[in-house]
Amino acid sequence: MDIRIENFTKRFDKTTVIEDLSLTVRDGEMMALLGPSGCGKSTTLFAICGVYTFDEGRLFFGERDVTGLASQKRNVGVVFQSFALYPHLTVAQNIGFPLKVRGESRAEIDRQVRSAAEMVRVPELLDRRPGQLSGGQQQRVALARALIRRPDVLLMDEPLANLDAKLRLDMRTEIRRLQQETGITAILVTHDQVEAMSMCDRIAIMREGRILQIAAPRDMYDRPDDTFVAGFLGNPPINFVETQVVDGHCRTQRDTVRVPLPERLIGLPAGAKLTLGVRPEFVQPSHHTRFTGRITFIESQGREDLFDLELEDGTVLRSIQSVGARVGVGDAVEWGISPHDVLFFDDAGQRL
Amino acid sequence: MTRQAWLGFGFLAPATLFVVAFFLAPVVMTGFFAFTNMSTATGITGGTYRITEGVISRLAGSEDVPAPLIEALGQQQSVVDPTGLAALAQGDFDAAFVAELEEELGGRTFASQRELEGAIRDLDNRPRRVRDIKAAAELFERSVLNVDFATQADFAEAIQAYAGPVPDTAMTALARAAYTGWSMTTDNFSRLFNSPELGTVAVNTVFYIFATLTLFNTGFALVLAITTFYLPSRQASFFRTVWLLPRISPPVLYVLLWKWLAWDTGFLNAVLEPLGVAGRNWMFDSETSAWTFVILINGFVGASMGMIILSSAIRAIPQPILYASAVDGAGRLQQIRHIILPQLRWPLLFITSYQTLSLLTSFEYILLSTDGGPGSTTEVWALAAYHTALRNYAGNLQYGYGAAMALVLVVFGIAMSFVYLRLFNFKALVGRPRIEQ
Repeated sequence: MDIRIENFTKRFDKTTVIEDLSLTVRDGEMMALLGPSGCGKSTTLFAICGVYTFDEGRLFFGERDVTGLASQKRNVGVVFQSFALYPHLTVAQNIGFPLKVRGESRAEIDRQVRSAAEMVRVPELLDRRPGQLSGGQQQRVALARALIRRPDVLLMDEPLANLDAKLRLDMRTEIRRLQQETGITAILVTHDQVEAMSMCDRIAIMREGRILQIAAPRDMYDRPDDTFVAGFLGNPPINFVETQVVDGHCRTQRDTVRVPLPERLIGLPAGAKLTLGVRPEFVQPSHHTRFTGRITFIESQGREDLFDLELEDGTVLRSIQSVGARVGVGDAVEWGISPHDVLFFDDAGQRL
Repeated sequence: MTRQAWLGFGFLAPATLFVVAFFLAPVVMTGFFAFTNMSTATGITGGTYRITEGVISRLAGSEDVPAPLIEALGQQQSVVDPTGLAALAQGDFDAAFVAELEEELGGRTFASQRELEGAIRDLDNRPRRVRDIKAAAELFERSVLNVDFATQADFAEAIQAYAGPVPDTAMTALARAAYTGWSMTTDNFSRLFNSPELGTVAVNTVFYIFATLTLFNTGFALVLAITTFYLPSRQASFFRTVWLLPRISPPVLYVLLWKWLAWDTGFLNAVLEPLGVAGRNWMFDSETSAWTFVILINGFVGASMGMIILSSAIRAIPQPILYASAVDGAGRLQQIRHIILPQLRWPLLFITSYQTLSLLTSFEYILLSTDGGPGSTTEVWALAAYHTALRNYAGNLQYGYGAAMALVLVVFGIAMSFVYLRLFNFKALVGRPRIEQ
């Protein structure tokens, strides 16, 4: 079932947290709401599940307008950041709670709890209480509880934030597997771009209560609409270099870096200011557009090495390379940039 | 010991002194007094040995003391003994009379002075004036009735001298009965458990605690806590403040307001009289109305504490859990039933046990309002103990018996706490969670 948010506005007292937000999540799609903390992504999620009300705008599940419905009547499944399991109930009672309050028969609840527990792979834990479970197990129970009454939408608020690094990798694939198996429409709220990119079909990136761009992860990475999106996605982050247009090129003030303009930008007037976005993987020893600099920092990440290069004018470029470069801190090197992969942003930060 | 340790003791000293002087000592003394028969009559310092009419009547039917001895002790008799004859010889009497009396009547015992006087009148050398005969007979008057003896030995000697040899068991029983000071005894408890009045008081106490606790201290407190939880915060804090007022107002003023409300020319009557209801003092009108007022007065005070504790317990429930129950489809009542109430188990245990104990021992609001009346319909155990030991109509304050009543209260309170802990499965509540990977 698809979800449509139209012109959603949310205020707390007099502060407008979300303004005029519209978003469509397609049927069976997993959508990430990605953004830094305080951007309104959790507020949006809580408004979809009915914990918060809409101040303006409408919300549709399929053709059904659910804007005014209480959360009890929306048929949504929610996984909270803290998992929000009921501490006094056993795992089985937790998972079966949505059915119990709906008044299903005991046998029916039992049957469905068993199959849900098997789906999230915790059938042996049914008699325990949440306090006796590890973080990953709690997460699975929370997922089972959210999915047991076959909700129209699955909403997840930072579901991986409370897990340790290794468990996070496991649960990432686990959640994606469950979502694809059940074919449920899902929204994932996260501040972690890796989670968003690896788990979701599309990403809506948010900032200060607005959606900046909605795109598939690859498209958003390759063609960010503006400098914020470009800077938010990618680890290590993208390099920004301030340049000016000078006869068919753009170059830094002291000419430490000079990149030819692509054809579509040839018409720019001389002296126009451009910000170049160069991802660290496009700064390599073999690339064409050369520049010289001194290595100030090396960080080994195992498979790859991360270098900081300081140019003559103080600009720092970051490069990530496969292990093997025989250079050390303080060495002067002449490396290059791949000009086709350079992103050009105008004065206001919009990509050209 | 190190200097720090001494310093620690130094800091503790004032508190320790207070605890010992104002808590431990009274408890120990109560426990001690409970096993004495101390009262206004016995005094608290000690006493003497004295046979009185009361002692005689109490001893009647005793197995230890033979009945003839008891009868003898109750009488005044005249014995013509050497002591009396010596006194007679010293006196201003005719020597022939003294000699004749010794010869004729020496060693005889008369049941009363009058009989001795009759015998003297039959003597030849008797004094001429009746007054002298009476004076002579008086010298032979022998009695132990209403005579104080400082020690048991003196007492025993006097009894033996008066009534001849007395077996040891009889003497012990006699001495115990004749002692006017306090002594150690367990009689308080047998008296207490056999007293029909105290049975009624016990029933009153149970009813009072149960009704106040269920209706107000937990029941109404729970209603207040839950309703104010769902109210907007400003209204909620207004209602909480209103319900705190009885707690923070001085008890005497608070009860006075209730009295104004209830008495003959009070608010209730002012409102009801125009409607044709006859004026009366509602607090003492009937057993029901008295109890209603007692429970309302205590309940309005007691509800606020439960409300505060339960409110904060509800607020301590993590918000996401309440959100989760809402999106899981639980309506408000289901949320209260399945999520909030189970989380309130521990605070409810605390309030129930704490308030049971405090209702059990506190009687100031009843004392100030009905003072156990009308009659003794609202007399509860603690108030009865107070009345028995420290204030009653007869004026004989029975410290020992009152202390025994208080001790029963303490033992019952401790027993109740254990029952509550068992009932609410205290161990499981404070148990550590087992976390496994």
